[in-house]
Formats: sequence, structure tokens, C-alpha cells
Amino acid sequence: MIAKLRHFFKSLTGRLLMSAVLWSMAALAIGGYSLSLLFQSYLLRDFDDDLSLLLDSMVGVSEISRDGVIRFGRPLADQRFVTPESGSYWQISESGQLPFRSRSLWDFEFTPDAEHRTFALRFYETVGPGGQTVRVAERDIILPESDRLFHYLVAKDTASVQAAIYEFNRFLIFALSALVLTVTMALVVQVSYGLRPLRRLRGSLSDIRTGRGTRIEGDWPEDLQPLAEEINALIEQNEKLLDRARTHVGNLAHALKTPLAVIQNDVEGADDKKSIRIKTQTSLILDHVNHHLKRARIAGGGSGLGLLIDERLQKIIKAVSIANRERGIGFTLNCPQEMRFDGEKQDFDELMGNLIDNAGKWARSTVQIRVQAVADSPRRPFMEIRVEDDGPGVAEAELEALFERGKRLDERVPGTGLGLAIVRDIVEMYGGNAQLELAPSGGLRAIVRLPSK
Amino acid sequence: MRILLVEDDENLADQIKQSLLDAGYAVDVTGDGEDGHFLGDTEPYDAVILDLGLPIMDGQSVLRKWRADGKSMPVLILTARDSWTDKVEGLDAGADDFLTKPFIVEELLARLRALIRRSAGQASPQLECGPVMLDTRSGKVTVSGRAIKLTAQEFKLLSYLMHHEGKVISRTELTEHIYDQDFDRDSNTIEVFVNRIRKKMDILIIHTVRGLGYRLEWDEAAT
Repeated sequence: MIAKLRHFFKSLTGRLLMSAVLWSMAALAIGGYSLSLLFQSYLLRDFDDDLSLLLDSMVGVSEISRDGVIRFGRPLADQRFVTPESGSYWQISESGQLPFRSRSLWDFEFTPDAEHRTFALRFYETVGPGGQTVRVAERDIILPESDRLFHYLVAKDTASVQAAIYEFNRFLIFALSALVLTVTMALVVQVSYGLRPLRRLRGSLSDIRTGRGTRIEGDWPEDLQPLAEEINALIEQNEKLLDRARTHVGNLAHALKTPLAVIQNDVEGADDKKSIRIKTQTSLILDHVNHHLKRARIAGGGSGLGLLIDERLQKIIKAVSIANRERGIGFTLNCPQEMRFDGEKQDFDELMGNLIDNAGKWARSTVQIRVQAVADSPRRPFMEIRVEDDGPGVAEAELEALFERGKRLDERVPGTGLGLAIVRDIVEMYGGNAQLELAPSGGLRAIVRLPSK
Repeated sequence: MRILLVEDDENLADQIKQSLLDAGYAVDVTGDGEDGHFLGDTEPYDAVILDLGLPIMDGQSVLRKWRADGKSMPVLILTARDSWTDKVEGLDAGADDFLTKPFIVEELLARLRALIRRSAGQASPQLECGPVMLDTRSGKVTVSGRAIKLTAQEFKLLSYLMHHEGKVISRTELTEHIYDQDFDRDSNTIEVFVNRIRKKMDILIIHTVRGLGYRLEWDEAAT
């Protein structure tokens, strides 16, 4: 699971998503935090304005009675100053006197800081009646008709403000989370939509590899078009190189074999020592030429346009039966129609031509060819080709020997044995395996397994 | 029997041509594909030996063009590239048989005989018509077991008629199939050959069909 996640974040999609989501989350977090601060300071300023207004109106209605006691000329309008522990309080204190307090304070009394005198308005938070957190505005004032110093104080419970801030933050977090979520979703869509041409390109390439296409075709976004063109050019160059190599090989074969045919026909029938030597030597040269040319022709897995097996096998069987015409062998083919070989046509022809030709040479009357897909593990499906003859077969112990000869191809004399060497070479180039066994009928059965892509 | 040989290697072409002549065939030889295609398109051949690696136009294209034009003479292809792909595609192009170079000329002759026989609908290498027997392998002709000696031209003529037993063959057709293209043709010589063959065999199996040509047939009642 963790490995999978790591893998995802290393992918292009993962990188794009990850960076975009991280950035947008950081930006939204900063934005949200500033917004919350702004709201808080706005609320507090409002609160403080309210407090200072109250303080002013307290000063405005204050008067000193004839007996020297401070009192309000008329009561403050707000009912909350009367209801006990309502959350709104005032208090006027004078040093050495009992403070003049609002009814709402009940038996609570603020203790103003006597040392710290200030005529400027001061705000702070403290604990009020009933454990309420209250915000206080206070200042010292000398009333006009006297020279006595009064300390004015007005306080209000901050619970409602705190609740508002809490409410606001909660809403903010919810809204921002929703925003992050939708942005992430939009990014996922954007990335997958934006990267879709890449996925299409990969599909095209895999089609080419498996032989369902020859070139990357269609319209590509401007950024991908050069890439598609480069890939096409590469494929083309590859094909040309392969083709040229094949042509050279073919030309060499042609160049060598025709003069050899002339020499062989010249000495044919003659039985003096020299002619016999020429005969054996030319056939040796031919064996070498054939052997190495065949090896050079194998293209190996991964290239080629692929072909439909059934159709091709019918043609190969026709060629083999013409080559073995005088033996009158019957060939039966059993192959699913849609099955494909993902590789070079030449390799398939050489592989099956040799296998079937070999079986045809050994068979008494019939050769059976059976092709089937085998999915023995779902990860690596492969196809199995069985070529079975009803000939004399070989002793069990000799089966191994046939293998060995096939395996140690490079050291063996070409042109001897069953011609299975080239079969094994081709199969191994394609990452498959080939084996021989005795059929129940007593003949030989060759089993070739080739991985399907 | 007239054969077209399309082979660009002169040595091999000479060898094959000589063997074909020795075996009693009329032979036209050409070294390039375009010329080969033209000849095959315009002259009536009983079989074609076609090399695949040819200059100007390759053998496979030549063959495909012939088949596309409805030419159905048997074609044996020679391939130097001993690959199954060449064989498979040669057959796909319409070849009837193939030989891989290098080969022994006897093998080629045997294949060729078989091709011509099959295309004429004959199953056995020994062609029979009443008491007359012609062995395509050895080139010997016997009448009621008695061997008779024929010249090369007489043999070609009889062989062609025997391959097409029961059909009326015109003098022109006979000329076309027993002479190669460079021969100074004179259809009167056909009549001379036919008379000589009749004399040598001493029985009548080559009938003259007035105004049309000849028909080879054994009619027991007639003798």
C-alpha cells in the first residue's frame, strides 16, 4: 500500500496533483487565517467602540450631589445594567470611598489598579461576576465642578463575541475544506484530462508493438506532435535497417548459391576423385551459408507487424506439403481463427516451416498441428503450438540429445539432425521455449510455447 | 512442349536450357523480369521456370501480374533464398511448385514433367493411347511394346498431342508449342512431321480434322 502510494507520487499524475494540492492548501490556509484575524479585530473594535461610548455617556450623566456623593443625574437607559450578572457593568471608584456600582454587579466589585493612573482610555480583559470573561474600558476623570479624581469603568461580557468568532472560524474551516476538496477534484480532472493524450500515445505505441498498427496516427496536441513524429521516424528507420539487413542477407544468399548451383551441376554425375571432392566441399559451403544466413535472418521478439496465425499456417502447410509431395502426408490444422503472432513474419514462417517440414519428413501418414492459448497464470498468457507426427519417433534417451544439439547450436555442424536448431533459436529470441516429447502414437511431438503480449 | 525460362544468371540459364533441350522441350530464355513477363503474357507456354530474384521486375511481381491477367500456365519458381517466407509467398503469388537453389537439374526436369502432366490432366508419367505408350521420364515411345525412334521435333509434336488426347489441336498451336520464338516457323513442316510419325508407328492415332488441325485418338474399331 505504501509502496503503491510512493509509486503514485513519483508518477507524472502524482507529481502534478501533489504539488498543485499542496500549493492550493497552503494558500487557502494563509487566506483563511488572515480572514479570521480580520474578522476578530473588526469585532473587537466594534466592541471597544461600544464600551467607550458607554463610558462617555456615564461621564455625561455624572454629577456630584450636595453632600459630595457621586451619582447619575438620570439613569442609564440600558436595562442590562440593572439585571444582576447580565453581562453589562459599570463602576465609578474614588480612592478612600466605596465605589458607585451598577446594580448588575450585585455583590461583585472591580478592583481598579490604584497605582496605575491614566487619563487615557484603556482596554483589557479580566474576570467579572460569575466567572464571566469581561472586556473592560476604563479611564480616570476629574469632573468639572470639583477637583476629585474618579476612576470610571465599564465592562461587558465577551461571550457573545467569542461565540461569534468561534462560529465564524467554524464556518471558515468548513468552507475552506470544501474549497480544497473541490479544487482537488478539479485538479484531478484537469490532470487526467491534460495527460490523456499521453495515455493515448502509450496506447498507440503498444498497438504498434503488438502489430495492430504500423505508425502513430491521428492528431496530437501541439506539444506531443513532434514526439509522435519522432517516434514514427524511429520506427521507420528501424524498419529500413531491418529491411536493408534482410536484403543484404538475401542478396548474399543469391550471389553465393547460384554459382554453387552451377558448380554442383557441372560435377554432377562425374565420379573422379577431384569431382567428388568438389561435390563434398560445395555442399559443405552450402550448409554453412544456409545455416548462418538463417541465423542472421531471425529478427527476434518485439519487432514486426504481427500476423494471423491460422491464415499463415495454412499457407505454410501448403508449401510444406508441396516440398514433401512425393511422400503423400496429410496435414491437419486446428487453430483459433483470431489468434495472432506478435512478431516478424519471416521468423514465424521459419519457425513453423521447419517444425512442420521436419514432422512431414518423419511422419508415416499424418501430421497434426494444434495451436491454443494457454493462460496458466493471468499475468503471462502464452500460446502453445503442438506439431505431432505419427512417425517412428526416437528412443526416450535420444530426446535429450536432440535438445542438446539444439542448444549448443554455435558449435555444431550446420545442416545435420532435425533442423530444430533454428526453431529453438527463434523461440528463445521471442522469450518462449521449445521441447520434444514422444506422442502416444509413438511419433514425435514438438511443443513450442511463445509468450503473448 | 514449350518452356519459358526466366533466369538472370547466364551460367545457370545455359545449364538449364541445355538440359531442357536434351529432354525434348522448346525453350525460350530471358534474363530480366520485364521481358519475361512480356513473353509469358504473349506466347503460349506449357510451363514457366521463374527465378524470384530478377532484375527490373522481381519474379513474384511477374507471377502476380500473370495470374491477375488470367494466365494459368504452370509456374515453377526458383528461389535462392532458402526461407519459408519466400516459398509461402511464391505459392501465394500463384506458383505451382518451387525449387531451392542449388538444385540438381534432374530434379528440376522431374518437377517440370509432373507440372505439365498435371496441368494437362494426366496422372501418370506414362502417357498411353491404345497401343502407343510415351514415357515422359525417359522420352521413349513404344507401339504395342515395340520401341520406335523419333527425331526431337517428332517427339515434341507427339508428346504435345499425347498430353492433349482427344482434343483438336490446330497447326498453329502445334507450331507455337514445339518451336521456340527464334525458330523460322513454317506450318507445312508440321504436316511432314505428322506423316513421318504415322509411318513410323504404323497405326492411325493422329487423325486429320479438315480445316482445323489434328486430333489424337485411339479408335479400336477403325483398325
